[in-house]
Amino acid sequence: MQRDSTSLDKLLENPRVWRGHNRAHAGTGLASGYEALDRHLPGGGWPQCALTEILVEQYGIGELRLLMPALAQLSAEDSSADFLEPGWIAWVAPPFQPYPPALQQWGIDLSRMLIVRPKNDNEMLWSAEQALASGTCAAVLLWPEALDDQAGRRLQLAAEKGNSWAIAFRPAAVRGEASAAALRIELQSSAAGTRLCILKSRGGRPAVLHDVL
Amino acid sequence: MSTARNHRSNKGLLRQRSLPLAEPKAAPKFVTAPVPRRLWFCVYLPNLPLEACGTGDEARVVVEEQKGIHRVLLASAAAEAAGVMPGQSANAALALLPTLRVEERNRLSEQQVLEHLATWLEQFTSVVCFAGSNILLLEIAGSLRLYGGLLCLRQQLAAGLEQQGFSALLAIAPTPLAATWLARGRRRACIREPVNLGTALRSLPLSCFDWPDTVCKSLVGMGIRSVGDCLRLPRDGFARRFGPQRLIELDRALGRLPDPRTSWRAPERFCADHEMTEEQSDRELLLAICRELLLSLERFLLTRQLGTQRVLFSFFHLRSSATQLTLGCAESERSADHWFDLLRIRFEQLTLPEPVIAVRLRGGHSQALCAESGRLSFGGKTREQKLRYSMAQLAERLAARVGNQSVSGVTTIAEHRPQLAWGWHSLLGGKANTTTLLLRQSLQRPLWMLPEPALLAAEDGYPLHRGRLTLLEGPERLETGWWDEDGIARDYFMAVNPHGMRLWVFRNRSRELTWYLHGFFG
Repeated sequence: MQRDSTSLDKLLENPRVWRGHNRAHAGTGLASGYEALDRHLPGGGWPQCALTEILVEQYGIGELRLLMPALAQLSAEDSSADFLEPGWIAWVAPPFQPYPPALQQWGIDLSRMLIVRPKNDNEMLWSAEQALASGTCAAVLLWPEALDDQAGRRLQLAAEKGNSWAIAFRPAAVRGEASAAALRIELQSSAAGTRLCILKSRGGRPAVLHDVL
Repeated sequence: MSTARNHRSNKGLLRQRSLPLAEPKAAPKFVTAPVPRRLWFCVYLPNLPLEACGTGDEARVVVEEQKGIHRVLLASAAAEAAGVMPGQSANAALALLPTLRVEERNRLSEQQVLEHLATWLEQFTSVVCFAGSNILLLEIAGSLRLYGGLLCLRQQLAAGLEQQGFSALLAIAPTPLAATWLARGRRRACIREPVNLGTALRSLPLSCFDWPDTVCKSLVGMGIRSVGDCLRLPRDGFARRFGPQRLIELDRALGRLPDPRTSWRAPERFCADHEMTEEQSDRELLLAICRELLLSLERFLLTRQLGTQRVLFSFFHLRSSATQLTLGCAESERSADHWFDLLRIRFEQLTLPEPVIAVRLRGGHSQALCAESGRLSFGGKTREQKLRYSMAQLAERLAARVGNQSVSGVTTIAEHRPQLAWGWHSLLGGKANTTTLLLRQSLQRPLWMLPEPALLAAEDGYPLHRGRLTLLEGPERLETGWWDEDGIARDYFMAVNPHGMRLWVFRNRSRELTWYLHGFFG
């Protein structure tokens, strides 16, 4: 009887088992810096070692601001005490130029930035996968033109392997497609403000948040 | 200088009359300053022409054209067993053994093989000299202690040569010529003391001299059949008859005259070829060949404690020009595995116009490789152990696939003009530089920057970008750079459009009504 209950507990501890609204077993997340969002994410923050998809209709509506506090935390992680190499942040195929002075204002250590400009989508996915699996990058941001199910799964696996955080920015039109991502967030902006919809959250529940940013 | 003096004194000697060769004491002039003891190791490769053409147990011969007829120069053991002998014509040899592989002598590849071997021998001593087309001389007196004595050194050398497929004759003597002659005379001699030289050399046949046939014939005609017989001849008569050079050689062999040698230096840059007998387009096979080349590069660099940041592969084709492939590395590297990893990534994308007939690998400028001490880890698994590779290696891998220009880091520059306030820096060049915060937090800067400001349409004096923009903050006036071409005079605003995009726009002060978009606040 005793043994049965422990094995059941073990089974329930598995993050792949979805248990309604119970977020206690989803592991700890990386604080996003936005309290309202943290409350709705399992583990109280961005899921680590996983793929996060951010769907945006257009760039410039706050998709980077959403990530900045977490990225700053990753790049500034002072880990010299236990000989860890601090996290690098790789930007794979950004649509515009990430502007260094602004990044610095957000507290990102520029000496840990890696910007890759691949020539096509194939190279983009390859670069992102390499960066994720290398174990050197704390976060990899990518802007794929298309990301099919298989590619998404590969990124997810690479992120798990390299203990890294993959963030893919995708157009809002792919909302209906299946995805391997642990977290899917859509940003909808209007003159009134930006609305944040959690479309899918492994271990959490979909939600719509207003005025996060 | 001392060499020149010795030559002069030698000429003086030749003028003296009938000084018997065998009595060195009669010429006290030769004994000059005490010379440090030297010991020469001769590696004689009689079968080099055969071994340079490849290895294998099958019946093979190397032929050389003599007076219009191809004659067998050397035959492998299997061929000799079938009755093929050196000196036979190639046709006769083929008649004896139709399956015989006949190969033309290739002096160039012999030279390459010899240089390769000399490079390998450099691990035993710093003085490796070429003497003729198939002899290498090593000065080993200084290496004996390190290698645990003469016997051990000789064993290691012999084992290494055998492993590489060479049948070498080895001899050790205090003078280079004596060692050469002993090896040519097929004596497994090991002479340490100069006083024993005379006795050892005396019984050697004339064939060990490598003198012209005419000289040997006339010596034989005079009844001279060994080195000892030569030494008994009167010096001046010998010099007159056969030339002073022969006499000098005899003196040098016996240690009466110094015999300075120029030691060979392996080139500091690695270069190796792999030639194939037929064209190949199998990419796996080509990769395997490249791997072999990289392994020899690794050995080359290892013996010199060097690393290189660049290697260049050339794939040669029969009809079109060679395909080049350059690999770069952030830090000096010599590990063949590391290079092979990079090569595989690049090779996937390489298009070869034709099958390949030969592959060449050239190393870039080499630098001393400073080894880094590893970190002592006290139990537990550190992240470093989990890392598959470092940041520099990741940057290299990415650069290998997407191009050097496409992988970079960024940095800020102390400059007020927004478009000049940042720059790229290469991650392949070395350590990343640290930047300090230059901007005040109160200044608004966008996270996304457009490569060039984009002209915005305007309506009633308000800029448009997917709807009329509302100016939220500003103006921030930037008027600077008048001293060069890129001077600006702009009023920057933070604006928002009806879709909720936050933009960084500016108005040129010179033309009040033109608006530009410079970035997004992301």
